[in-house]
Amino acid sequence: MGVTCVSQMPVAEGKSVQQTVELLTRKLEMLGAEKQGTFCVDCETYHTAASTLGSQGQTGKLMYVMHNSEYPLSCFALFENGPCLIADTNFDVLMVKLKGFFQSAKASKIETRGTRYQYCDFLVKVGTVTMGPSARGISVEVEYGPCVVASDCWSLLLEFLQSFLGSHTPGAPAVFGNRHDVVYGPADTMVQYMELFNKIRKQQQVPVAGIR
Amino acid sequence: MADVINVSVNLEAFSQAISAIQALRSSVSRVFDCLKDGMRNKETLEGREKAFIAHFQDNLHSVNRDLNELERLSNLVGKPSENHPLHNSGLLSLDPVQDKTPLYSQLLQAYKWSNKLQYHAGLASGLLNQQSLKRSANQMGVSAKRRPKAQPTTLVLPPQYVDDVISRIDRMFPEMSIHLSRPNGASAMLLVTLGKVLKVIVVMRSLFIDRTIVKGYHENVYTEDGKLDIWSKSNYQVFQKVTDHATTALLHYQLPQMPDVVVRSFMTWLRSYIKLFQAPCQRCGKFLQDGLPPTWRDFRTLEAFHDTCRQ
Repeated sequence: MGVTCVSQMPVAEGKSVQQTVELLTRKLEMLGAEKQGTFCVDCETYHTAASTLGSQGQTGKLMYVMHNSEYPLSCFALFENGPCLIADTNFDVLMVKLKGFFQSAKASKIETRGTRYQYCDFLVKVGTVTMGPSARGISVEVEYGPCVVASDCWSLLLEFLQSFLGSHTPGAPAVFGNRHDVVYGPADTMVQYMELFNKIRKQQQVPVAGIR
Repeated sequence: MADVINVSVNLEAFSQAISAIQALRSSVSRVFDCLKDGMRNKETLEGREKAFIAHFQDNLHSVNRDLNELERLSNLVGKPSENHPLHNSGLLSLDPVQDKTPLYSQLLQAYKWSNKLQYHAGLASGLLNQQSLKRSANQMGVSAKRRPKAQPTTLVLPPQYVDDVISRIDRMFPEMSIHLSRPNGASAMLLVTLGKVLKVIVVMRSLFIDRTIVKGYHENVYTEDGKLDIWSKSNYQVFQKVTDHATTALLHYQLPQMPDVVVRSFMTWLRSYIKLFQAPCQRCGKFLQDGLPPTWRDFRTLEAFHDTCRQ
């Protein structure tokens, strides 16, 4: 698992989400990237059931259960600022059994689907973020395979991002900042996706049942 | 092709001799004309005989004169030079049918070509000998009688000595750790881990470095049965490139008499890769070129360059 940067690409002026994705993929193909199949990252939200909350009125925590097609046999469960659990796909079944403690927030499933591109040692995934039937935004993920320490290769990643994102290049993700010399892992990627999805959810003021 | 033959002929005397021959011929034919005409009609028999004899003598004198002249001129003409500089091949040029059998011109061309080839081959071997790739301690061209019977000592070192050298180098650099093993007989195999950037497998032959393979920090370096995998390449293009550069380096650092200095220099060069992803290219200032970071490290200054940017 190499160092990965997940960012959002704003939709171009006067164009639809689809057209912006097409613009991006054409730029990538001009760079020399090769298409290598598709990818999908999805996220479901659970919140702690009211019955488990103590009398002090603790606020319930939100738990996100995510899947990534890059790791088809795994399931990731994470809290917003808390630990991330990497389990196998049976975890979904387990969540059903834990209905008493964690309740699924209805209509909160958000996912991003798109194509994978390979350029030299870079893996680029451009996906459309959809919530239900509507497309809400564009996610761009760039992974640099050979390097596993985030602080080492940020400048290199930035240069690559600038070459095809131009002015929409993001800043360094938060997960990079606080961990020096720690080996990067898939959990960090899922944290970035979770933050991206939350940002997109907040962008459109669609009331989603179940969120506080 | 008479100009090829070196004729030291006096051409003037030659043309004069030719006209002298003509004069001689005409005076000889005058003699025979005189004889054919016989005696002219004169009053007395004696008169006719005298006139005839006088005429005949005149003609004979002129023949004599012309012959002497011719002899004199022929001595002046001289002989064509006996020493052909071309010897037998010059004889080929004497009577060829140029269109059908251009033997002599082809012979000349072949000779010039083979001369040039020999000259260039001499130049090339002189240049190539300066950059010898032989890593043994034997000198080139030493005859079998003078070559020492025993193997050069640097090739047969006790394994304990090799272990000592390697462990000393291991302690030299804090961010580089070297693990030595001997799974395949006497040759040592080193697994060098450089920070969290890369792993290098070095196959040695006594204290000489034979082969290297560079892989990523998180890539698997063991085969399924737990032995060190010395054959499979890295999955990433950047490390495949660094493997090529490492092979160039192990051929560059050569000192057959002092192999431990060589191993030390190689490890120092390898250590410069700790900043593989952080250092921009010294020439163009960028990080990426065709998707690759600066993978070349200069052998003397250890500066980072892109493979296409190095001088």
